[in-house]
Amino acid sequence: MLARLPYRIQIPLGLSLAVLLTALLVTVVAAPISARIARDETLDTVDRAAVLLGAQSLPLLAADDTWEVFALLRNMVALLPGAASGHARAAVLDRQGRVFAGSEPAVLETGRYLLGKSVRGRSLPPPAAITHRVRINNDDGAITLIDPIRSEDGQLLGYTLIEVDAPMFAPDWTAMSKPALIGAGLAVVLLAPAGWWIGRRMMRPVARVVQVIERIGREDPARLRMEVPRTQDRELGRISAAVDQLIAEMQVRQKAEQRALSAERMAALGRMIGAIAHEINNPLGGLLTATQTLSVHGASEEARLRTHDLLVRGLHQIRSTVAALLPQARIEDRPLEIGDLEDVATLAQPAAAQRSVQVSTNADVESAMRVPSGAMRQVMLNLLLNAVTAAGDDGTVHAQLYADADRVRFAVTNSGDRLTRAALERSIAAESGNDPRGFGLWVCREIATQYAGGFDLDDTHTPGTRLVFWIPNREQHEEPLGH
Amino acid sequence: MDRRQVLKAFVAMTAGASSGVARAQAPRLRIGLTAVILADQAAFLARWADYLSRRLDCNVSFVARDEYQPILDLLFNGQIDAAWVCGYPYVRYESRLRLLAVPLYQGLPLYQSYLIRPKSAEVKVRGWADLRGKVFAYSDPLSNSGWLVAQGQLATVGIKAKDMRRTFFSHGHRNVAEAVAAQLADAGSIDGYVWETMRLQNMSAAGQTEVVWKSPLHGFPPIVVSSGAVHSRIHALQQTLLAMSGDDAGRALLKALNLNGFIAGTPSVFDSIRGLARSVPGSGVV
Repeated sequence: MLARLPYRIQIPLGLSLAVLLTALLVTVVAAPISARIARDETLDTVDRAAVLLGAQSLPLLAADDTWEVFALLRNMVALLPGAASGHARAAVLDRQGRVFAGSEPAVLETGRYLLGKSVRGRSLPPPAAITHRVRINNDDGAITLIDPIRSEDGQLLGYTLIEVDAPMFAPDWTAMSKPALIGAGLAVVLLAPAGWWIGRRMMRPVARVVQVIERIGREDPARLRMEVPRTQDRELGRISAAVDQLIAEMQVRQKAEQRALSAERMAALGRMIGAIAHEINNPLGGLLTATQTLSVHGASEEARLRTHDLLVRGLHQIRSTVAALLPQARIEDRPLEIGDLEDVATLAQPAAAQRSVQVSTNADVESAMRVPSGAMRQVMLNLLLNAVTAAGDDGTVHAQLYADADRVRFAVTNSGDRLTRAALERSIAAESGNDPRGFGLWVCREIATQYAGGFDLDDTHTPGTRLVFWIPNREQHEEPLGH
Repeated sequence: MDRRQVLKAFVAMTAGASSGVARAQAPRLRIGLTAVILADQAAFLARWADYLSRRLDCNVSFVARDEYQPILDLLFNGQIDAAWVCGYPYVRYESRLRLLAVPLYQGLPLYQSYLIRPKSAEVKVRGWADLRGKVFAYSDPLSNSGWLVAQGQLATVGIKAKDMRRTFFSHGHRNVAEAVAAQLADAGSIDGYVWETMRLQNMSAAGQTEVVWKSPLHGFPPIVVSSGAVHSRIHALQQTLLAMSGDDAGRALLKALNLNGFIAGTPSVFDSIRGLARSVPGSGVV
């Protein structure tokens, strides 16, 4: 929890805890010493009190004056530590060891034998055994002091007895901890604001480093490097140096990324050019075949006209393809006709013949088609050529053109391996442009999107693969959705 | 500084200061006080001395002692002019003393002796017969309520001094209450008037003790003078004491003493004490 706090709080808090801990440790260490000193002082006091009590009670004992001895004890016991709390008491005993008077008569009953008896767990020696001052130390720390009272000529008159209970010798934690706590409290009062100030001062360069780190990637690295604080502190200096190095390495990396991006762009441009060449090359193959047909069968009027129309439409397709690369260019285009399907099939024929692929077509037009012929021909040719490739040698390809009042749909089925949706998406993804043929499918998806239509895999078709392209059957002059 | 020193200092102070310059040359009248009253309150004694001095036109001072015998000695030696003593020393030394005034307590010149015990004692004394083997506190060997009555009662129940664990004199009725309250003694014999006055003044020793037995009524401790007293103000002192209940200042002082006033009194007031003393061997009264 402490680690979560800011340094300007952690530092004063840590200092305060350190002071408090020190105070407590000092108290713990000092307590036994203090208790030992206090015990010695208490024993000295008891010794002096015994001397005083003996001297003062001597004439009273001689006069057999119980009341005056009691009055003396009542006043004198106040000298004993712990008397006020009932942990110390005194008595004057007669020659037989009976209580002549006690400071607490309820505890030290008048006339009760004490010497030679066990009193509150303390075995007291018999009168005959006490010839001089005796101090009995109990296991629990309590003491009992017995001192004979003798006249000037040595006659024994009685005894003084002083008891101090164990709690008076125990360390007084409350009294000892009080000054420690007061000192710690004062230290905290002084250290808290000082620690806060020191913490804030210490953290100022760190905060600046944090600010610089937070702006990395958003601002100019060169300017950020200028703002990294320079400090004499070794640890902070290491942090600043690390941040500076990080920014420098980021500068290098950014330059490398820019170079890589530039190279990527160049590669993409190359792929695009290759794809465009592919798009233009597709109809060119068909057109070249048409010119050979013209040269062979040019004598036939019908063949010549048919080949002428084929050449015109193929060239229009090439112009549309080129125009698609110039978004700002406006191209006048005619609506799709059923003959366009046959043209496309004818253009794909050389590729199909090369692979011995059988290509069949079918047109089912219920309503007049208003879709642009250029875009549709490009789509149909791309899909046919892809299907021929996918069908493989001796495969079959079937193209169907449907049109009703709402939409125009073109579906191509090939007998090749089944294409999954994931594989299709990978093929048409912009990033997978290494294969120029993938570019063809990508163009189909783009045209479908531009004309608010769709291009997708027909999952239900099996075996082989069936791709379906459709766009709304709208007027030709309507603008595509965008580029 | 103990009570005696305080009183000495107070007496010296009041003799020189409170009487004033006008009475500096006037005759002195010294009155001895004993434990029959709670007479160790310096402020009260100063007011009373001033009250008497103004009315007697002389310097009145009090001489207080804890015990009766020193006061009697001073009186017989002529060192004091009057003394407030117990009825027992009065009957004992009746031939050498003359009654000056007898206080009225609860409207009568009579009082009782109490047998008291500590409230907190585990084994409670219920009467005189229970004192066998116990520690007993007397007040003074010349006290009626604090010794003589107890002697008569102990004799009645057949307990001799040797039958008790210990007996001692506490040199004053108040000390009897304190000795019993502290359980220094299991029981004590005390002047009933003093104990009631202590209780009235909320003294802790009275609160920590309780009365087990009350004696028959006896003559209240009187103020006496030596039978041969010749002091010119003695008669005036008697008249002033008898008239104290007649003025506000006097009544205030009497209230502080928990008394109603003074009467001249007669020796017959002390007949019960006299009879009791005669029954107690060694009482000195025959």
